[in-house]
Amino acid sequence: MTLHFQPPAPDHVPADRIVDFDFFKIPDGVSDPAEIWHDLVRRGVPKIFYTPRNGGHWVFLDYADIVEGYRNYSIFSTYQTPIPPIEPFPVVQPQGVDPPEHKVFRSLLAPMFTPVAVRGMTAEIQRRAIALIEGFADTGECDFITQYAERFPTALFLYLFGLAESRLDEFLDLANVFFRSTDPDARSKNIVEIYAVLDALFHEKQAHPGSDIASAVVTSRGAQGQPHDWTDILNCGFLLFVAGLDTVTNTMAYIWRYLATNQDAQQHFRDRLDDPDAFLLAIEELMRINAVSNIYRRVTHDCDYKGVRLRQNDRVILSNTLANRDPKVFDRPDVIDLDRAVNVHVTFGVGPHRCVGSHLAKRQVMVSMQEWLKRIPRFELAADQPEHSVFGGSVMGFTGLKLRW
Amino acid sequence: MSHDAEPQGALTVVANLDLCQGHARCEDLCPQVFATDAVEGKVVVANPTFPPELEEKVRLAVRNCPEGALRISRQRPADVDSASKGTGA
Repeated sequence: MTLHFQPPAPDHVPADRIVDFDFFKIPDGVSDPAEIWHDLVRRGVPKIFYTPRNGGHWVFLDYADIVEGYRNYSIFSTYQTPIPPIEPFPVVQPQGVDPPEHKVFRSLLAPMFTPVAVRGMTAEIQRRAIALIEGFADTGECDFITQYAERFPTALFLYLFGLAESRLDEFLDLANVFFRSTDPDARSKNIVEIYAVLDALFHEKQAHPGSDIASAVVTSRGAQGQPHDWTDILNCGFLLFVAGLDTVTNTMAYIWRYLATNQDAQQHFRDRLDDPDAFLLAIEELMRINAVSNIYRRVTHDCDYKGVRLRQNDRVILSNTLANRDPKVFDRPDVIDLDRAVNVHVTFGVGPHRCVGSHLAKRQVMVSMQEWLKRIPRFELAADQPEHSVFGGSVMGFTGLKLRW
Repeated sequence: MSHDAEPQGALTVVANLDLCQGHARCEDLCPQVFATDAVEGKVVVANPTFPPELEEKVRLAVRNCPEGALRISRQRPADVDSASKGTGA
């Protein structure tokens, strides 16, 4: 990468730990945005380095440091972490609150997303997957992003939140700006818009509670029976909005792109449609290799971490795709082994903020793939793929993916 | 097979609920031994002492826990004996 202008690094960062790295920028010709991260490892940059791009932040390359970043909240906080920084930024509930305070909203959300709860949603997930797939199965082609991967999790989110499905496009637009824009004005305006939508939603659910998640959040009470602070309720809605839409979309995009270009893998799943255990084991491997999220932390106080000086409010990125291919933890990490027996991937994070929606996300992927493979014959990439369709950032992925069969 | 295993003592698996974060990989890999609760989604080990024919699956579940929250141990009759002797002396 050629430097035209490099912002200065703060004076606590030694020169030999500075690497010019912009995780939003995917160079022309790179077809998989995760490759910009793995390229760092191939280049042999320091395992803990600092880039002055995007407001300046650290990057950890090793699995051991990434899981430490997740677990050690006395150094690596989730409080107001966005990169580049947005000030002011909401204290997202419960993700943006360190233990033990995060327990209040974590305990509220957890029961709604346990494996037991997700099993209860499976029939609805399956019904929706079938309806969406049968809408285009006979046409022999689709743009997987716009016709499935965006619509499916977002429509399910609206359903789980008790919102009308007619608002799908509005929510897709809000999520796209939130995850893709690097323009500070657009990002600030976007957050205001998201909060206005959530405020109206929670007021409506407070007046007319239903059996949906938004109603459960707004009608819940604290330990002393008191209503939760309205700001916290909004911030909890904000978390569910930003965490549940884009991540599933792009995980699906990555997985379907892989299946379209690997007929043996496609057949592997087709052969296991009647063996959910083996099917799920193979999905775990695709979760490992297609980890879309790069997670932010903020340093709580000036300190030394493994001989590196960190300063209070320094930002750190924990890139799950890097952790998931660390050869010190994974046998033949770059090989996609659909029967991989030991697979401690961190695609959903680890520690107290482990993705509360992980079981719902995995179920959406699994059911979608099962119903897809039952209805769509051998499929592949269409010849006319859209140009510049990859993006980096906190969630990596694709804006277009044309498939044909 | 179970007759051969008996003299070595039974295998047990123990979960550390402070470490468990509810990934449920153990439940996916070996539902005969592991479940998850409906409140926090944390592991519930219904039968800590599992039969030898499940040993391989339990060991895989333990190795796949991203939090290292599960441990297997073998209760040795010899250990129990020496422990009680020590207490007596």
